[in-house]
This record gives sequence, structure tokens and C-alpha cells, in this order.
Amino acid sequence: MELKETVKYLAGLNGTSGDEKDVTEAIIALLPKDAEYKIDPLGNLIVEKKGKTRPKSKLMIDAHTDEVGFIVTNINSDGTLSFDAVGGILPYVVFGRQVKFKNGVYGAIAGVPLHLLEGEGKDSQPKIFDLCIDIGAKSREEAEKSVQQGDCAYFTGEQFDFGDGFMAGKALDDRAGCAIMLELMKKELPYDCTFSFSVQEEIGTRGAAASAFSINPDIAVVLETTTACDISGVKGEKRVCELGKGPVVSYMDKGTVYNRQLYKLAFETAKEIGVQCQTKTAVAGGNNSGAIHKAAGGVRTTAVSLPCRYLHSPCCVIKESDLYETVKLAEALIERLGSLES
Amino acid sequence: MDIPKILEQLCGLGGASGGEEKAHETVLKLLKSYIPNVKADNFGNITGFSEGDEKKPLVLLEAHLDRIGMIVTKIDEDGFLKVSGMGTDRRTLLAQSVTVYCGDKTVKGVISTLPPHLSTDSSKAPKTEDIAVDVGMTKEKAEQIVSLGDLVLIDGRFSRLRDTRVCSPATDDRAGVCAVLYALDLLKEEKELPVRLAVLFAAQEEVGCRGSKIAAFNIAPDYAVAVDVSFAQSKGVDYPQAGELGKGAMIGIAPSLSREISQKLIKIARDKEIPYQIEAMSGTTGTDADSITVAKGGVSTGLISIPQRYMHTPCEVVDTEDIKWAGMLMAEFVKSI
Repeated sequence: MELKETVKYLAGLNGTSGDEKDVTEAIIALLPKDAEYKIDPLGNLIVEKKGKTRPKSKLMIDAHTDEVGFIVTNINSDGTLSFDAVGGILPYVVFGRQVKFKNGVYGAIAGVPLHLLEGEGKDSQPKIFDLCIDIGAKSREEAEKSVQQGDCAYFTGEQFDFGDGFMAGKALDDRAGCAIMLELMKKELPYDCTFSFSVQEEIGTRGAAASAFSINPDIAVVLETTTACDISGVKGEKRVCELGKGPVVSYMDKGTVYNRQLYKLAFETAKEIGVQCQTKTAVAGGNNSGAIHKAAGGVRTTAVSLPCRYLHSPCCVIKESDLYETVKLAEALIERLGSLES
Repeated sequence: MDIPKILEQLCGLGGASGGEEKAHETVLKLLKSYIPNVKADNFGNITGFSEGDEKKPLVLLEAHLDRIGMIVTKIDEDGFLKVSGMGTDRRTLLAQSVTVYCGDKTVKGVISTLPPHLSTDSSKAPKTEDIAVDVGMTKEKAEQIVSLGDLVLIDGRFSRLRDTRVCSPATDDRAGVCAVLYALDLLKEEKELPVRLAVLFAAQEEVGCRGSKIAAFNIAPDYAVAVDVSFAQSKGVDYPQAGELGKGAMIGIAPSLSREISQKLIKIARDKEIPYQIEAMSGTTGTDADSITVAKGGVSTGLISIPQRYMHTPCEVVDTEDIKWAGMLMAEFVKSI
């Protein structure tokens, strides 16, 4: 499968934090024959891929398999489902969406129509606790035939291409990173690498904490998506980073002060190989780096991220060119990082 | 007629207010299978007439063809499209995928949304000026393809929920169109009807019941029944008039409607054991029935409403049994005159 198709295929699968099994199994089916893998007790998929030689510093490459979604917290007497978000989802992108359960049941995220509200109610965004999922059941008993408490619900909607080389869809965070790791594994890498397809990033970078401990790397590269705000009416540094300007390498976010040596090396490498590369103009967000750099006595860590609009929504947007540039930069970085002294 | 299947086909068609022609080809074809004389007028309305003795009374069955959408009002310096609402619930718009209808072409896009670091108060609903469509193009490129005034529809699947309930951004009022088609389906076996039939699938209901005003004048029926959707009870709804999903079509009683027709519909429902509910309103109805009643010298008009949850959101829910019962009511009404 071509990289872009792999991204779409993986993003179309459903796997919230703690429910990543379908995604992990699909990735295993796509692994190259020469890769050895194991699944740890949390569900992390850890893959050893031999390169031409052993690196001086042990390398871990990480992307997370989980996505944001919803979990059923109660089945109400009227047959509707109370629910909560798994991971950070803004109330703006919840009401009025259609969702799907893994057993093929569809539902509407329901609230009170605008016409039936008065005063301030009309200008308020309903909170998740004020909404429910309607699967068309008329009673609790009927609903229980389709859905159980603890079942996860997913945004519906196709992955699609639009505009000048843009791609949209749910779960590009971080199936794009997973697809890039698969793409890297197709190549003959200069050094042995351990790839971690990590679970439970969205609820606090939990999977990678465990996989980093077991892998015990010297250096880690996290492949992620990061918030871009290059949208209508947003100017200057508030745009944070922009689509079409290549991978994003951060110096700091809410979870990590990134290793300075690796940060510089990433930009030098990008320059040498002629890949556009940018940093963020804000200290915001976080990713598995936050867990990995503190694990196993400390790991020098860098993150290479795809700029992504509308993160954690039914329609994340990335640019195709950034996807391919990120692969190039990641590959070149592996070559340089493997030769660093541990 | 397979109601869910036809409804799915109808909900899959475009046709925002003022752009109803996107639904014309399919709807004309569906209508023509029941009624020979069908046409679309210059205002986006579709009309159809049965053949028969001109002395017989003319009965109009009506539903509106348009669906809620948005209209492009500006292409900004970043190439994003600013839009104006036309009835869409702005609390449900952000990060939705959309289709922009640009002449013969369509362009896909995503309604942009601010990330957490810039959305200071997420308890406030977005304002219309916050809504911008990302079409992934520069201003120059967008201007070559998109024009001001182009219409935008929210993409959204037609989902079958449990049992006979369905969910789509377009059940208002494709459910009504489906009910009228079902009534015609029930009537097609009748050897001779006591009336001549007119059918109107009206344009521009959502922006002020305009298409029906024009078409009802031209049709000049003796009696009319309009079918639209109306509020159904759902979690959090505190609205005594709201109907219940799956409990029958709602027969309207309102000062603006013909009380005789309302009573006749109720009697028919009782006699024929068709499930129904009453929707009593205190003035006008907010549907095309209002404009049809005052067309030309006045038309005796009734209103049947299909109970609907989550009106004007991309996940409007109806029960297809209610559509069936609305169609049965109309068919029996036609036969009873």
C-alpha cells in the first residue's frame, strides 16, 4: 500500500485509548516480513527492525495507535446513552455528529434543537454532559441489545482528499505517524530500530511510558501530528505552525523540553537533505515525548510532527507534501542519530 | 414502495434553498413514475398533475424540496470561504466536512475550528462570523472555482438506527417528499379517484416559504395538505406540543389551517386505524401550509407533520413508520373527497 493510502486505511479504523486492538492487528498485517514483533501487556506493539548495522545509541521510534472518541457511561431509561469523551475533545465538535460503534450500530449525538431554546441558551455550546447518543432505542432494555456501558463510539465520515493536496478525516492523529513508521520499515534502514506503536496517548501518554521502559533506548524519535492554526483570520505567531511548510520540530511543549542537541540536528539534517522544516511559535500541546524522555533513567527525545488543522475532531486536515517530507526527514535523522555516542 | 430506501435516495441529493435543481433530476423521475405531467419551474419548484375530469376538485399534496444549507458570502485572504447560515444550527458546524456547489462542479471542504489555545470560552456557541470553510486553496485559486453566492451543504451519511429510525442531515423535509411519494404509491392502484391530484415539491421553504407561495398561486387547488417535519420529544426537550417518534403522523390544528380538513384527517385516522397525534398551534404553523392557505383567493389547507428529533442539525432523526402513516393519511384523504 502506498503511504497516503496507508494513512487513509489506518485512520478509517476505530481505536480509542484502551480499545486499540483493531488498529494494532491491522498494523501487524502490514509489517514487513523481516520485522520481529511482540505485544506488551498494555497492548503496545513493539517491532524490531534490523538495519545495516547496530547503532551506537539504541533508537526508539514511536507513534500512537489510539485516537480520541467517546465512551458510553450510562444507558438511560429512555433508551438514550450518556457518554463522555476519551481524550480531549472540544464541545464544539460533538453536538450534531453521527457516531458508530464497532458492532455497526449508528447513533446521533443529540441535544435540544435551537428553535426550542430561549435567551442565553441559544448562544451556549452544549457540554458533553448535556448531550446524549440516540441509537433509536425506545427503552433501556432495547438499547442494551445494541450497546453496553463502556462501549466506545467513533466519529463517522470518510477520509477524503480536497483542495491542493490536502487530506481530511478523523484519527489522522496519529494514524499518520503509524503509517510513516510502516513506510520507514519498508526501507533498508542504516541502523537497527525499535518501533513502538503505543497505546493510550490521548489519555496521558500512558502506553509509551511502558514501552520506553521495556525498550530502554538511548534516543527516541516521536512521530506525531501537531496543532496548526493557519486558518481564516489567525495571524502571525498565533498560527503556531503551517501546513505545507514541512515537518514540525519543537523546542518545548507542555510535556517536554526537547533535547537541544537533537533539536539542532533535526534542522541541520533538514537543511542538508533539502526538506522544509519548521518549529512551533507557541508552547502548547504535548505528545509521547513527555513520557519517553523521563522513562528508563532518561531518554534523549525529539518529536517530528505533521502540522495538522482541527486536531481531535471528525475532520483533521493534513497536507500530503508534509507527509512525504516527514518520511524523508525521519529517515535521514535515523541515519544521523544512530551514529551519535550513547 | 420501500420507504427507507427511497428516503435514503432523497437524503443523498443536494438542494439547499435556492439550489433545489440539484435534486430535480432524481425527484422528477420518482414523481413521473406515479404522475405523467411533471415539470420543474423557474423558481426551483417541482409540480405534477394527474389526468382526469377538470370538473373534479383539485387536491394538492405538498412537501418542501429544499434543505438547510449555507451560502458563500466572501472568500478571505487565506482562501477560506465565509458563509451565511440559512437555518443551520451553528452549534453543530465546526469541523464538519462540507460540499460547495460551484456551478456544475463541487468542491469538498472542512469548516474550520479554533484549537484549544485560541478558543478561550468553549461554553459559547460559535457566531456566524466564526464560521469559515477550508477548501485547501489559496485565495487566487479559490476565486477561480468558487463564486460568491455558491451554496454549501453539510456532508452527512444516511444512517439506519435501531428498528425503523433513521438519521440524516436532510430528513427535513425529504421525509415529507417521501411521504407524498408513498401516498401516490398507495393511490396508483385506484381505478378512478374522486379528485384530480396536484403535487408540489416546493423550493425555498427554509428561507420563508417562498416557493410554495409562487407555485400554489399557479396550481390554484381546491384543497391542499402540506407535509413537513415537526418537533418530537427527546432528552432535554421541554416543549409540550412536541410529538413522539413512532407514534404516528401529527395532524395540525391551528387558526391558520382549515379546521374542517384537520377534523377530516382525524376522522380518517380513527376510522382507518392509522396511528396519529395532534399538534395544536396557536397561530400560524411555520410551514408551507401558511403560504398555501392564502394563495390566490384562499385554499382550504391541512398540515401533517412527521415527528422529528434534532431539527436543523446534521443528525435529524425520524421514524420511517411515521412517514408511512403520513402517506396513508394523505391517500385516504384524497379518496374521501
